Amino acid sequence: MSRTDAVTRILFEAFGAAEVRLFYLLGYAAIAVFCYGVYVQIRKYRRGAALKLEGSLWARFGDMLSSVLSHRTIDRRDRGAGGAHRLIFYGFMLLFAGTATITLEYDILEPLFGIRFWHGGFYLVFSLVLDVAGVALIAGLVYMMYRRGWMRLPKLDYARPDRVPGDPDFDRPQYRREDWAFLWLLLIIAGTGYVLEAARLVWLQGRADVWDTRWWSPVGALLAEGMRASGLGAQGGGLLRHGLWWFHGLIALILIALIPYTKVKHIFTSAASLMVRDRLAAQRLPRVPDSQAEAGAAKITDFNWKQLLNLDACTKCGRCHEACPARAVGAPLSPRDVILSLREFAQATLESGVVPAAAELDIHGKAPGQVAMETLWSCRTCMACVEICPVAVEHVPIIVQMRRKLVEDGAMDPLLTKTLQTIHKTGNSFGESKRKRGAWSKALPFPVKDARKEPVDVLWFVGDYASFDPRNQKVSQVFASLLHEAGVDFGILYDGESNAGNDVRRVGEEGLYEVLATANVTALSSVSFKSVVTTDPHSFNTIRNEYPDFGGKYEIQHYTTLLRQLFAERRLQVTHPLKYRVTFHDPCHLGRFNKGYDAPRELLALLGCELVEMGRCRANSFCCGAGGGRIWIPDPVGSEKPAQNRMKEAAAIPGLEVYVVSCPKDLTMFEDALKTTGNEGKFVVKELIELIREAIPARRAEAVPA
Amino acid sequence: MKILVAVKQVAALDEDFAIRDDGRDVDPDFLIRDLNEWDDFSLEEAVKIKEGHPEPVEVVVVSVGSDEVDESLRKCLAKGADRAIRVWDAAIEGSDSIAIARILAAVAKREAPQMLFAGVQSSDQSFASTGIATAAFLSWPHAAVVTSLTYSPGAESAVFRRELEGGILHEVEIQCPAVLTIQLGINTPRYASLRSIKQAAAKPIEVLSLADVSLGAADVGEAGSLSRVRRMYVPDKGRAQLIQGDAAQQAARLAEIIREFKGAAA
Amino acid sequence: MSGVLVIAEQRRGELRPVSLELVGAAQGLRRAGEEVTVAVLGKTPEGFVKALSVAGVDEIVTVKVPAPEFDPDTFESAVGALIAERTPDVVLVAHSVDSFGYAAALTARLGLGFATDVFKVERVEGELVATRGGYGQKVNVEVDFPRRGTVLLAIRGNVFKAPEQAASPRVTPFDAPQVASRSAGREFIELSAGDDVDMTTAEFILTIGRGIGEEAKVPQFRELADAIGATLGCSRPIADAGWLPKSRQVGQSGKTASACKLYIAMGVSGAIQHLAGMKHVSTIVAVNTDAEASIFGVAKYGIVGDVFEIADELRRLF
Repeated sequence: MSRTDAVTRILFEAFGAAEVRLFYLLGYAAIAVFCYGVYVQIRKYRRGAALKLEGSLWARFGDMLSSVLSHRTIDRRDRGAGGAHRLIFYGFMLLFAGTATITLEYDILEPLFGIRFWHGGFYLVFSLVLDVAGVALIAGLVYMMYRRGWMRLPKLDYARPDRVPGDPDFDRPQYRREDWAFLWLLLIIAGTGYVLEAARLVWLQGRADVWDTRWWSPVGALLAEGMRASGLGAQGGGLLRHGLWWFHGLIALILIALIPYTKVKHIFTSAASLMVRDRLAAQRLPRVPDSQAEAGAAKITDFNWKQLLNLDACTKCGRCHEACPARAVGAPLSPRDVILSLREFAQATLESGVVPAAAELDIHGKAPGQVAMETLWSCRTCMACVEICPVAVEHVPIIVQMRRKLVEDGAMDPLLTKTLQTIHKTGNSFGESKRKRGAWSKALPFPVKDARKEPVDVLWFVGDYASFDPRNQKVSQVFASLLHEAGVDFGILYDGESNAGNDVRRVGEEGLYEVLATANVTALSSVSFKSVVTTDPHSFNTIRNEYPDFGGKYEIQHYTTLLRQLFAERRLQVTHPLKYRVTFHDPCHLGRFNKGYDAPRELLALLGCELVEMGRCRANSFCCGAGGGRIWIPDPVGSEKPAQNRMKEAAAIPGLEVYVVSCPKDLTMFEDALKTTGNEGKFVVKELIELIREAIPARRAEAVPA
Repeated sequence: MKILVAVKQVAALDEDFAIRDDGRDVDPDFLIRDLNEWDDFSLEEAVKIKEGHPEPVEVVVVSVGSDEVDESLRKCLAKGADRAIRVWDAAIEGSDSIAIARILAAVAKREAPQMLFAGVQSSDQSFASTGIATAAFLSWPHAAVVTSLTYSPGAESAVFRRELEGGILHEVEIQCPAVLTIQLGINTPRYASLRSIKQAAAKPIEVLSLADVSLGAADVGEAGSLSRVRRMYVPDKGRAQLIQGDAAQQAARLAEIIREFKGAAA
Repeated sequence: MSGVLVIAEQRRGELRPVSLELVGAAQGLRRAGEEVTVAVLGKTPEGFVKALSVAGVDEIVTVKVPAPEFDPDTFESAVGALIAERTPDVVLVAHSVDSFGYAAALTARLGLGFATDVFKVERVEGELVATRGGYGQKVNVEVDFPRRGTVLLAIRGNVFKAPEQAASPRVTPFDAPQVASRSAGREFIELSAGDDVDMTTAEFILTIGRGIGEEAKVPQFRELADAIGATLGCSRPIADAGWLPKSRQVGQSGKTASACKLYIAMGVSGAIQHLAGMKHVSTIVAVNTDAEASIFGVAKYGIVGDVFEIADELRRLF
């Protein structure tokens, strides 16, 4: 047998039996503390409301595994963090797997079955891999320390917009302490691991099988050379090794024990959160069961176990904080801080043996851990937070559920109250008579079919703004003309249409939403059509994703895909290509919500426009600020509006001629912002439909009167 | 202790409305119904009294009308009323505010409340009479256009302020039980979520006939009214001279008008 | 039943001008040989005789009552007694806050013919026909009073013309029966001045209404008013919401724009209570997105358009 065949590391070498027993005792103690911690966490989640997960657990597991192993969610919009975390993750995983392998042999396979494999060639390759893993781990940690300490990233700033200086939980030094402690702890474990490895080499330098194979642990070997050079002898090495062994072992056990009590738990909670994610979280909100006494989340226990788990999955990465349009303009909302507040609240109330009385579980308010009304009402439900979160925290449903409680209590801006009452009374947010809903079509030189009276191929769900707002009525007229010229057999519901309810639902008025959705589904059920098209992304989202819950499942497309199809079929053809330099604003409810990024861009290309993307485009598009009912809530005097922030971004594009939108609310918000940011005259805001009209000028006889 | 709140479901005119064939009213197809705006405030005032005092206070709403009115009564129940009463009989058709008041007084005799609130007027017919006429039928102290109220449930008197023309207030002390007609702006009416309105469907609405309140056909309808509608018609509106053009042109004309005025005034 | 009985209104020692408008309205209702009698109630009713001595008044009846200011029980009892003694054909009161407090109770108790907020009265084939508004003042409603002897009408203010010529009607005191009033008036309270502006003396007013949408828009209009030299006023919803002080509210329960010659109403729908405060102004310009808004019925010039666009453009020109 060659010498290398036998090479291995003797565990607990030169330790007395009592020492080994002590170590095992401490090990079991650490595991016990760990298990208790896990029990407390799981008990906490179970104190939330029940929830049945959709889909197979195996599919979910596979999905989660692929996300975690590829690290694609951490990579997005932060390649540095993605790369460094990969190093930490794989480094740590390998080191952990290594320890587990050793335990497998030493504690199970060898004593029970006499199987040994951790020696010889396997052992040497193993040692090399783990040394590299350690380097990766340390490199990742060092980058993270640099990132946190020197790069001064805004998203890592824990200053929060929903509290003021002086509030007890305004500054959270405990978070910073924990962040650094975690980094240092891992660094020390890794560092001492190498020193320990080197010390052992120095100690056993007399043993040929150890010394001659030392370069299979290159870092350790280098350090060992250094130690010897500075005069450390075998005996000294042995003492150093013994001491360091205990030190390294103890802090490793402490780390394990502390996992469920600290940030380290994200190892499990983040993965679990990814596994139980709802891919339609913000697009399709949950119904309130009739049996439920009170709508909305008033107490921490009104959240379900998945949401409580979400709270623990958050690693304070700050991506949602950075993406939020409300936060960007100084509103008292940071999605991150909503989650962290609720997390602290859950920890304070649900981790003790007995759950406190209901009065102490109230999550609304301004005390530490609570969420204020102003915070909840600032949200635009644009789902930028949900979309970018690497660990699948679902902020928007949490905010909407808390809003439901505010609505029940009538705790909202009087203008919002008035709008909800108006929508209930007239079926639209403008307070206009239902009979006027189709009035915009009277200006057209051809009649628009009433789908209630005759069958149509395409049912066009127009929406409130496109029906009643004068500026958007013009767009509706142009779209009708285009459909007419393309020979599409289409019709509208006239008085039979009500507000689709998307924003009413996101405001939290679930009762009114049910009335609207039911009314629309009833109206649609008596109409004969093949598919639905809409010019309103909000209506598109709710009809596509939420109406099925109300008995209405329809094939629906946004106008951009219908028009693209018409062009492809040559039913529409560009006669006057436009050479404008344009930029495209992805509407939240079409783009981020429903992945409709491509059709509008293909249309712009067909028109011959030169598209220059803004920095925040596609999935990272910056909300115009009208969502979540905010178009019905006045903005504080003197504050910047999200649409203005966005206009400034567009204005930075040199030579920009047209800012293209494809949503009626975007048109309204951005035309206003164009003026108020002083960009009037520099470029124009146009609906994509209007650009298409320019490229296909109407024949005189069919021109819509101005 | 009980507060009775008289409410009305009013009708607003829809687009392109038409007058009925007999020329005395609008075609009901064109009527949009809703709770009278003043009644939001009077109901809220009653519920505030109920919620602001530890002694039990029952808030009962009463309205005269067919089952169409139930929707508005449910809204009241959702906003904090404990019980709802509706009175209807075919003979009530054609009643003016005095005839309605006679019915409300009859209900009040049945219910024996300690206070009765009504709105100053209704947004559709604006008689501004029903509440005070009810007080006459009950022989109760009464006051109109109450814009602030200080009252403890069951107390023998209340202090209130009435809102006079020109924005002056007149403070008055009145003996109770009393009938007060409540003015807009006295409080901020709460929002009743659709869910709470739906849940209020569980609370019963008591429907009374004329016999239940000891009244006969002669007490109501045209017979019981102090006026009769002869004719309803759409008046020729005095039309403003519309300034045409785009916003810039319209503003320019307006600026001209302003300068002319200033020139003349100089 | 014969003659017209007018119930005058006084407050804090001053005769309210609507009293003379009622005298004006009475002239058209007086039948041949009938008299127009004006009754005034108060602690010292004689003090109002001079102001009531105008052409068209045949007799002034002074009614001494213990309460110096309006009180429902007092008025009901005194006016009821007057009607019983004088048996007029028509009784005219103002459609006012005071009459809200007693007129319906009186007519209900006595079974008089009754209509309120009347802006036109005539005799058709001998029968009294009153015209008032319906469905939020969108239609006119003619009412009559079959089988009623005496009819009491509450007349809308600012409709009928008050007579200007002086006259010397005879004056008769009337003993009102004693009545224990169940309410007691205390003090009058003027709402805090807010910003010391007096809408009643402003000649040029720019008023904003619900159409401006939100409080954040108010500064823009304040600035516009300054730029064009107008006093900024508002309709009731704006004052109720606290966006402007109550002193700036124009309307029935706000101020009357008595001295105003040019009135620009932006985003104001024209509710009857607001019109009461400004419809007399000689030049009214209304700006509103709703072509059917009632304000266009009293305005001389109208702009159907977006108030903000018009405001922006107008600002540019000053």
